Amino acid sequence: MCPDEERSQPPMSLITIIWSMSASACLTLGGISFLIWCRNRTALSNLVFSLLALGASAWTICELWMMRAATPVEFATVLRWGHVAVWLIVVSLVGFVHFYLHSGRSWLAWTICGVRTLLLVVNFVVGKNLNYLEVTRLGHMRLLGESVVIPEGVHNPWILLGQLNLVMLIIFLVDASVTTWRRGDRARAITVGGSIVFYVLVSTAQSLFTFYGIVRLPYVGTVFFIGLIAVLGFELSGETIRASQLDRRVREVEAGLHEIEERMTLAVESADFGIWIRDLVRNEIWATDKWRALFGFPEAERLEFNRILDRIHSEDRDTFISAHKKATEGDGSYETEYRVVLPSGEVRWIGSRGRAELDDAGKPILVRGVSHDISGRKLAELESRELRKEIAHVDRVSMMGQLASALAHEINQPLGAILRNAEAAELFLQSASPDLDEIRAILADIRKDDQRAGTVIERMRTLLRRQTLDKRPVDVGELVGEVIALVRPDAIARRVKLELAVADHLPRVFGDAVHLQQVLLNLIVNGMDAIDEAKPGDRRIRVIASLSGAQAVSITVSDSGRGIPADILTHIFDPFFTTKPKGMGMGLPICRTIIELHNGRLWAENRPEGGASFQFTLSTAEQTVTK
Amino acid sequence: MSKDAPIVHVVDDDASFLSAISRLLRASGFSVKTYSSAHEFLAQHDAATPGCVLADLHMPKMNGLDLQSVLDQTANPLPIVFLTGHGDIPSSVRAMRGGAEDFLEKTGPKKKLVEAVTRALTRDSREREARARRRELRARFDTLTERELEVLSHVVRGQLNKQIAGDLGIHERTVKLHRTAITTKLKVQSVAELTSLTQEAGIFPLPFPKGQ
Repeated sequence: MCPDEERSQPPMSLITIIWSMSASACLTLGGISFLIWCRNRTALSNLVFSLLALGASAWTICELWMMRAATPVEFATVLRWGHVAVWLIVVSLVGFVHFYLHSGRSWLAWTICGVRTLLLVVNFVVGKNLNYLEVTRLGHMRLLGESVVIPEGVHNPWILLGQLNLVMLIIFLVDASVTTWRRGDRARAITVGGSIVFYVLVSTAQSLFTFYGIVRLPYVGTVFFIGLIAVLGFELSGETIRASQLDRRVREVEAGLHEIEERMTLAVESADFGIWIRDLVRNEIWATDKWRALFGFPEAERLEFNRILDRIHSEDRDTFISAHKKATEGDGSYETEYRVVLPSGEVRWIGSRGRAELDDAGKPILVRGVSHDISGRKLAELESRELRKEIAHVDRVSMMGQLASALAHEINQPLGAILRNAEAAELFLQSASPDLDEIRAILADIRKDDQRAGTVIERMRTLLRRQTLDKRPVDVGELVGEVIALVRPDAIARRVKLELAVADHLPRVFGDAVHLQQVLLNLIVNGMDAIDEAKPGDRRIRVIASLSGAQAVSITVSDSGRGIPADILTHIFDPFFTTKPKGMGMGLPICRTIIELHNGRLWAENRPEGGASFQFTLSTAEQTVTK
Repeated sequence: MSKDAPIVHVVDDDASFLSAISRLLRASGFSVKTYSSAHEFLAQHDAATPGCVLADLHMPKMNGLDLQSVLDQTANPLPIVFLTGHGDIPSSVRAMRGGAEDFLEKTGPKKKLVEAVTRALTRDSREREARARRRELRARFDTLTERELEVLSHVVRGQLNKQIAGDLGIHERTVKLHRTAITTKLKVQSVAELTSLTQEAGIFPLPFPKGQ
């Protein structure tokens, strides 16, 4: 170490310490802010702040260098590059105000940045730098016990634009601060806006005074910038703290939501409801464990709509699909009942209701539904229906039985009398001298009793005929549909599949709907009995309604039973002919009578593919009316 | 006791059938009386006259089964044959359980009807004789004193005079006297006859031990 140098440059240089510490402090704060931005790319104010800090740091180094410049050329060159830092400071300051305070007039902001960029170009093109066309000599002064450089030279006229630019920046900042204040964000307006205005104002003033030689000082903007960086850094750290507080709040809210979800789940599970949500956009299905249990899906298995559809009983699938269509394409909600067949083969009745959620365009995006097991209720329903049917049957049988019994008694009285009289007459005639008066009396009695028997029969016939038909135009589709709905529970209980095929645009028929339904009901129930007797694997009844010729509609009920033996086929419409242990043998004769009273025909035949088919025709309403 | 010919009482609310069946029965050789209701029959009924009842099961007010239970209460219940327009099983079962002779359809064969009536009359006369004999025996037993009945009960059990005297605490001679009185009053000659008569009269409820 040279002792001469030690004298001219004290070992403890305060300027070096202050300026280099300022530069590194700016870099540190900027670095931290930059890292924050790296982890959260939406925190643009942090990015802008780090650029500001970088610019301030660079300018600090330039200042230190300029204070120690050995030649005018060196000073001019450093100042020229220092303007890059100034550009960065101005632009990032504008950006910071924009991103952090969300205020300031954008046209002013763009103008400031544009002018500053123009000045940067001028800085490199005109003269030595923006300040000086030529630095003529370097003067010296003492600062903090050290000798520092003060420049002298020819001023660059563009510097006036630079000064105007700084004034514009101050106006921009004041305007932005005022806007922030008025918006009600007063703390920020003061700490951020106020401090920026203050530091920019004083640093501009200092540089102007220095430039015009009013104050003999080197460029010491650093002193002010470090204050600005410190204030803004503090403000941003507060932001980080707020972010973490917000994060905690979010966590609390999430915990609350979880609690609500738990309660919901508890309520839903204790009510034995299963919940499922079908996301139509992502084509995903989510369901609670209870729902999975209802449908027999293991917990881990991925749910797909088609796989759920497979679980649904084949006869109820259409019902299920149309319910969902109603929700997604219709009024947005559905309510339905269907059967689910579990992998074990167990069948379960499910009641389900739900609602679709629509996006702004009215397009369904998801469907939420709740399902629960209604097997118990369904079973009870079926049982009560069965019971009702049984009671009705017993009623009918006993009524018919009483009728038949009364008829037999009434008829047997005169028949018995006739028989006994005839037998008595025979005995009288066997005697040697028959009492002819007695025999005449007997014959008169026989005639009387015969008339009596005839009267009884006539009375019965009038009694049975008293039922009159109330004929009016009837929609065949509705007629058949109502009967199908009526027998469906029985059919399900008896595991018989009902198929219905009604031709489109069928004309209405002219008849008594109640009596016609009775006929259809009778034929369908007969069909089910035939299936039960035969016990075939294929258990189905098909009801077909179609146009028969121009003026008649034909309705066919065919079953998959064994068919009707040929020797019986000709008798099935005879009164009191029955093959059933409990049968009265009156069903088919009554059916035929009803159809004939409608001017139609009812007949039976065996189908070539097996089973029997009963068909009847009815004339259309139009045809009957014109007749 | 009347020695009159047995009468077939026909009860039916149907006048036409009533006259027809009475003609047939008369032509078949029976004495017939007709009644249009059970009440009319009961009002005129004389239990002493043998016969049988031919009644319609279905009659207004008192039907055939009611008539049967009333007849059962009388001293000489007449056998009853039921007639019906058509057979129904529960009524016929009840009728037969109640001791009805038969259960016939009105339009049934004549042969069955005549057979049933004949059988009913035969049963009536048989039961009548049995009842008369029992009444006559009872009258004979009624003449015995209490002591004599007591001795009789021991005699029919096959006990010797000495045993009876021991049991009753009386002298053997006294037992012999009682036995003589009993055989005189009951008009029997042997112990065997005495035993069977006692059995026939149904005097003692206990089963008789084997005769000596």
